[in-house]
Amino acid sequence: MKFAPFVAAAIAATLALSASPSQAQQYPTKEIQGVIQWGAGGSTDTVMRAVSPKAEDVLDQSIVLQNITGGVGAIALNKVASGKADGYTLLMGAENPLLYKVMGLGTKDYSDFVPIDILARGTGILVARPDAPFDDYKSMIAYVKAHPDEVKFGSTGPGGLPSVVTAMIESVEGKLPVTFVPYDGDGSALTALQSKAIDVMPAVLGAAIEGIKAGKMKPLAIIAKEPADQLPQVKPITDANQKFAKFLPWGPFFGIFAPKGTPKEAVAKLQDAFKQAANADSFKTLMKNRGFTLMNINGDEAQDFMTKWQQNTTWLLQDAGLTKASPETFGIPKP
Amino acid sequence: MATLAAFFTVFTHPELFALVALGTFAGVYVGAIPGLSVTMAVSILISFTFSWDVMPAIALMIGIYMGGVYGGSRTAILLNIPGAPAAIATAIDGYPMAKRGQAGEAIGITTTMSFFGGFVGIIVLAVAAPFVSNFALTFQPRDYMLLAVLGLLLVGSLAGESLVKGIFCGALGLMLGTVGMDPLTFTQRFTFDLPLLQSGISFIAVMIGLFGVSEALSQLHHIDKTPVRQAISRIVPSFATIRKHLPLSLQTSALGVLIGALPGTGGDIAALMAYDHAKRVTRNPERAFGDGAIEGLVAPETANNAAVGGAFIPMMTLGIPGDAVTAIMIGALFIHGLNPGPMLMVEKPDMFWFIVGGLVLANFCMLLFGLTGIKLFVKIVEMPRAVLVPLIMLLSIVGAYAVNNSITDVYWMLGFGVFGYFLKLYGYPLGPIILGVILSRLLDDNWRRAIISERGSLPDFFLGLVSSPLSLTLFLAVLFIFFSQTPPWKRWRGRREALRAKADPARPAAATGSEGGR
Amino acid sequence: MTGRRARRPGETVFTVVLLLVSLYLLWSAYGIAGFESLSSPGAIPLATTAAMVVTAALVLLKTAQTPANREETLKHDILPPMIAIFAGLLIGYALLLEPLGFLPTSFLFLTVAIRLLSKRSIIHAALIALFSLILVYVLFRIVFTVLVPPGIVPEGEILAWIRHLVSGKA
Repeated sequence: MKFAPFVAAAIAATLALSASPSQAQQYPTKEIQGVIQWGAGGSTDTVMRAVSPKAEDVLDQSIVLQNITGGVGAIALNKVASGKADGYTLLMGAENPLLYKVMGLGTKDYSDFVPIDILARGTGILVARPDAPFDDYKSMIAYVKAHPDEVKFGSTGPGGLPSVVTAMIESVEGKLPVTFVPYDGDGSALTALQSKAIDVMPAVLGAAIEGIKAGKMKPLAIIAKEPADQLPQVKPITDANQKFAKFLPWGPFFGIFAPKGTPKEAVAKLQDAFKQAANADSFKTLMKNRGFTLMNINGDEAQDFMTKWQQNTTWLLQDAGLTKASPETFGIPKP
Repeated sequence: MATLAAFFTVFTHPELFALVALGTFAGVYVGAIPGLSVTMAVSILISFTFSWDVMPAIALMIGIYMGGVYGGSRTAILLNIPGAPAAIATAIDGYPMAKRGQAGEAIGITTTMSFFGGFVGIIVLAVAAPFVSNFALTFQPRDYMLLAVLGLLLVGSLAGESLVKGIFCGALGLMLGTVGMDPLTFTQRFTFDLPLLQSGISFIAVMIGLFGVSEALSQLHHIDKTPVRQAISRIVPSFATIRKHLPLSLQTSALGVLIGALPGTGGDIAALMAYDHAKRVTRNPERAFGDGAIEGLVAPETANNAAVGGAFIPMMTLGIPGDAVTAIMIGALFIHGLNPGPMLMVEKPDMFWFIVGGLVLANFCMLLFGLTGIKLFVKIVEMPRAVLVPLIMLLSIVGAYAVNNSITDVYWMLGFGVFGYFLKLYGYPLGPIILGVILSRLLDDNWRRAIISERGSLPDFFLGLVSSPLSLTLFLAVLFIFFSQTPPWKRWRGRREALRAKADPARPAAATGSEGGR
Repeated sequence: MTGRRARRPGETVFTVVLLLVSLYLLWSAYGIAGFESLSSPGAIPLATTAAMVVTAALVLLKTAQTPANREETLKHDILPPMIAIFAGLLIGYALLLEPLGFLPTSFLFLTVAIRLLSKRSIIHAALIALFSLILVYVLFRIVFTVLVPPGIVPEGEILAWIRHLVSGKA
């Protein structure tokens, strides 16, 4: 009977531990699942696998990463959105979900999530194969207009970076008479560029840097207002035509999101952890080498960024006639 | 000198040496278990080795890659369940050998030949990487499409008892590969408005179902039969055996390197094409193909391991992945502060030679682990069926779930398991289904690109087909293989063989008539 | 195409089902993009499903012509009770996996399956099941960090607790 008090105390302690209201403060008590929207080896995958180890240290808990691909990332997004909002399942994604609604790819987007951290933003670049009969943006437009349907542009499906950049060009220069050859990502399209299967490709800067340095592809213009640090000799597209300025800066981005309804404490802890992780020098170097601009923002700042991004891009695509439904239907006002 | 030093880095640093060895050892098991893939293991390693230096991280990945590609053959031979898609062809002749108690011999041949193929791949990588990658870059969408068609003609050799059934299964596989949202235009195909079909049907789930569960169900027919005792005395093949198959293994290794070096095609396609090649060039195998022909093991295993070296070629010279695993390794190089691309070989030649050295070591480790752990592995087949069969089912389910963490994949896997069981009973070959699924994207994407590139004009498409030397060669190969499988040609060849046999009585006539069209 | 074997029980029905499914898929493939263009996303699906319909029809024709195998019966050679039971077990496993969780479901499945096949005692079966389950769990869940459905067992918390204990931070 002497043990009874001990037993009782032990039980009480266990109960207190397992059911106390302080549980949220102890978050995380088990490993966190990170669902990556894109396949292994892609740029989203690399960025997320690079940022997670440091965040694991801060949280003192492991983050298990898994790639769930398909449906332009919509499968992963829906899975996380419909799961428990307990802070143990995070979505690690790119910009695509902001276009799902207008593209008819899904009914959910980042408005069903809380941004934990928007890590970085990419910049677009227009590249051509080295022996293409034009050397800069202006001569390309002239050549395209003189030889209708002859120039082959790489594309990656409606809503991808190439389609947005092309929509910008068409909104400034008028309809472009080119042939679009579809690829499943800018990696395979840039390979095709080097084997001369296509002539021009709007790609993300990071994917093209090394090829440009080696002379395997020819830069035509950076889709930005200023030249990029990594390739200072390449002229920004606004040099050729000031009308592009209203769309810029524009670029794909990467972020980490938690489903709406996740406890505030968990969100705060995660935001802090990933903020520190993205601030690590090794991560900064990685971002710079891959041609991304570090953002590392959360909260309202991140929300505003996404709202503006969605407005600009959806209306751009709407005006180019690429959408399935008007942004108006979803209450996205014209910028 | 610096090159030599870089090459020998893995051999002179004990910790790197140990990591390659450990990686290879783990790789053999990762490869052997269906559902655990090299791609998965290597992507986990990215985070795991994040804080390491670049060399140990890459050393571990190289080991896993080399061991994993080889490991798939283990379960293919012992259980008729390929551990990875690249080992499908290995099961066709490996399993019949195990059923006769020759598992040890089959594993021995497979290991030696994997080593040989791996070596050819590494040599080509070391001496001819820039040349091969430039050649790989000359492939246009049209050529990829022809390659896919060439692959599809393998249905002829995989069909088994009925060619018509083989074609049905091949077409079914192609169709399965197109299910879901089309990655080029985001059009829904065969999704019937069901969200769960949007991401398509996981190819690994189909494979595990067709081979794992359907095999387990078939085993229930003779649950009371005692397992075959395996003789494990003749593991290392004799020098005469190796020399006899040397010409074939050189050809299939070369095929493997090239297919591996092409971005978008990998060891799985290479192994199947090599199997077909072996079937065509082997005049009189000791045993018929499909019944335990040694050539049926030599060809796919040399090819898929040669494809490893091949896959590194575009990665090291251009920064373009040769397959899914090298894609992740490129990411790993980025994370560790290197910039893979055309300049890597120029700026950091040491990295290149380090990787070549690592592959050489991994290849030796694979040979060593492959030839030593056989007893333990063979015990698996000698386990009572009452335990083995439920375990196969459990592993199939976990494996299918692990691919995408989705219960839907488990349902597909089970569905295809039951479907595969009936297909087998009624004499439909399962190989062509997987072949179709593997080739589906290659064919579909590149056919559309090829036509779009010619602005939808079929005459222009054919003009391009005959005006480019590469396309013309591939096109003629397609025609040749196609017509060599048709009855008039086979009758002609049969007559010729008979004549030759009459002229030279020492040489038995090959049973070509029944071989090619079975 | 050498030496046709006799028609097995149920083969005709199976072939008819294949043909019907193929026809349905052909119709569905036509719905993707019709005959719009050679490079439409519907082109290859249309071609493959058409090939399926043609070959399934040919197989049906041949099957109908071959004599039935008199010695085989559906119950003995095609779908013996044991296989039907196992198909049922597998479906049950798949259905329970998510709500109940990986560990309990797998344990139940293995125990029942081994008991059915080996005709040894239930305790013997349970022990083998437990042992193999531990192996599988360690390999997949811990070494390869494959997430399995947790269900009713809070294995995530338990694992985290053990990890902390091992690393001395608990």
